Amino acid sequence: MAELQTSGIFAPGVIEDIQAKAESGLYSIRGFGTLRERRWATFDDLTFLPCSLTRIPLEGYREKCSTKTVLGTRFAKKPIELDIPIMITGMSWGALSFNAKVALAKGAASAGSSNTTGDGGMLRAERDNSRTLIYEVLPSRYGINIHHMREADAIELTIGQGAKPGTGGLLLGSKVSDRIAEQRDLPIGVDQRSPARHPDFLGPDDMIIKVEELREATDWQVPIFIKMGASRVYDDVKLAAKAGADVIVVDGMEGGTGASPAIFQEHTGIPTLAAVCEARLALEDIGLYGEVQLIISGGIRDGVDAAKAMALGADACYIGTASLIALNCNKPIYEDDYRAIGAAPHACHHCHTGRCPVGITTQDPELMNRLDIDQGAERVRNLLRAMTLEIQMLARSCGKSNIHHLEPEDLAALTLDASAVCGIPLAGTRKVFGK
Amino acid sequence: MLNPAARHNLAVAILHGVHIRIAGSAGYYCGGLGDGASIEIEGSAGWGLAESMLSGTVVVHGNAGSGAAAALRNGSVIVHGDAAARLGVSMKGGEVIVAGNCGYMAGFMAQKGTLIVCGDAGDAFADSMYATVCYVGGKIASLGTDAVLSALDPAEIERLEASLSAHLPPAVRRSKPAAADFKKVIAGRKLWNFDKREWRTWQEAL
Repeated sequence: MAELQTSGIFAPGVIEDIQAKAESGLYSIRGFGTLRERRWATFDDLTFLPCSLTRIPLEGYREKCSTKTVLGTRFAKKPIELDIPIMITGMSWGALSFNAKVALAKGAASAGSSNTTGDGGMLRAERDNSRTLIYEVLPSRYGINIHHMREADAIELTIGQGAKPGTGGLLLGSKVSDRIAEQRDLPIGVDQRSPARHPDFLGPDDMIIKVEELREATDWQVPIFIKMGASRVYDDVKLAAKAGADVIVVDGMEGGTGASPAIFQEHTGIPTLAAVCEARLALEDIGLYGEVQLIISGGIRDGVDAAKAMALGADACYIGTASLIALNCNKPIYEDDYRAIGAAPHACHHCHTGRCPVGITTQDPELMNRLDIDQGAERVRNLLRAMTLEIQMLARSCGKSNIHHLEPEDLAALTLDASAVCGIPLAGTRKVFGK
Repeated sequence: MLNPAARHNLAVAILHGVHIRIAGSAGYYCGGLGDGASIEIEGSAGWGLAESMLSGTVVVHGNAGSGAAAALRNGSVIVHGDAAARLGVSMKGGEVIVAGNCGYMAGFMAQKGTLIVCGDAGDAFADSMYATVCYVGGKIASLGTDAVLSALDPAEIERLEASLSAHLPPAVRRSKPAAADFKKVIAGRKLWNFDKREWRTWQEAL
């Protein structure tokens, strides 16, 4: 019997989606990030060009290669100094469990890096276990507290995020427990949909004053980051720089989330690779490249992605999903509990349900206790160290004694798309396509 | 503070119980991110007055710009004149009193606390609120999505009157409606959780 053919347009997943909407009258919500097959130019479409005769490599396993990363040198009296360029991005207590937040703080601190608060304010245990803590100021202003802000090592004014640029956060009622509700001044169990706009400024001109207010509030000591989802990156980065940012964070469309409408994760924003190239160009065009530091995030998986982002212009990278995977996200344990929420190990994007089988994206005490803080912190530390070693190895092979010396010339494009996006010659040619 | 020249970011993040009198007008974010101070502005104030304040009192003798008391967590914000758009947006507690009118979208996504407008309220009043309770002495141009009128009980009228009398100068208070004549607006709670009816609710809001 001939194999039955499914439609390429109305594929099984599309049929299921239409029928789910017909049943509920609602759009689909989930966590994790884009699930689409990657057909756009990515970091995988670039390769490093290590030294041979034209350049001399450093000893790959031994020779000194600095990873020290300094952010916020433009206006802040106390720029932050990290041992490594991989940082933990903002994820809220609410989206994540208490144990996950503390494990990330502890792991980042022991690796000499930073962690970031999130949409819900700061946890005392998070601060106490951090070495360098970045305090997010988001449109919702949940849990905002001047005393916590003044304890922070940097302030991050968040305009948007890569998984859902142009819309606010989302925390479904199953995760708005009594403690989360109290922290955020919300009724228990509401499906909390955060605002997309800040309550007290609208455009970039007002934001200049807002940034100045944050500097006043922190006595001009700490760097001010401005974070946004990657959409019109070239213009947005210029405006953020004009507003007085010390550091600009651009979060590409591959960025993760605890919950958002699926359509945002799949159909909004531009890829991280494109974002870093546009951001660098914008800073170069206004003469601020190197003076305003650039952090790139969104789907950074390993030291290779990070090294390529740095070669293209990033000073540092945030990771989110990768750090949760280090904490056992999607690990094949507690498999019955994955099945109970309609998921499976390696195919779980059910953070929004609050029933995370491995205790990361839940407020259920029993589930949360499956994540041991110290063991989790050790795994996060190990991941950060291993990623940094990967960056160092690649940098040494390109003859760099400092990972921040990686440059576009260290790369070749493997596809026409990547060549056009990055302005890097296609391997085997001397051509930059699209120019 | 003399000759403030409507500068921005005056008296930001004051964390002590001091009294600051600003002899003139202030720009954006006056009294923002404070905890415990008492700030009196003899003129008017720009955008984001007392935004994210944790505790304390801010009194404006003139008018307040957009986003007054935005994300207020506690304390009191009193405006003797009018307030512009987005008054009390995302407020999380405390008490906001405007003796005059307020503009568009006041109380948007307000979470807790009390918002009192003695005069008229602009369009989309109290849109998408959680547990904030609003009182309006004059006309409401239009209610926002999921905002509903509710009856005041006698104890509430008493509390409202006490609050107005405590915070407004007697001459101003006398010129405003009696507490019993205020309208009360709260969340209809139809948007607190995703629901099949959401589509219709949003369509009605257009």
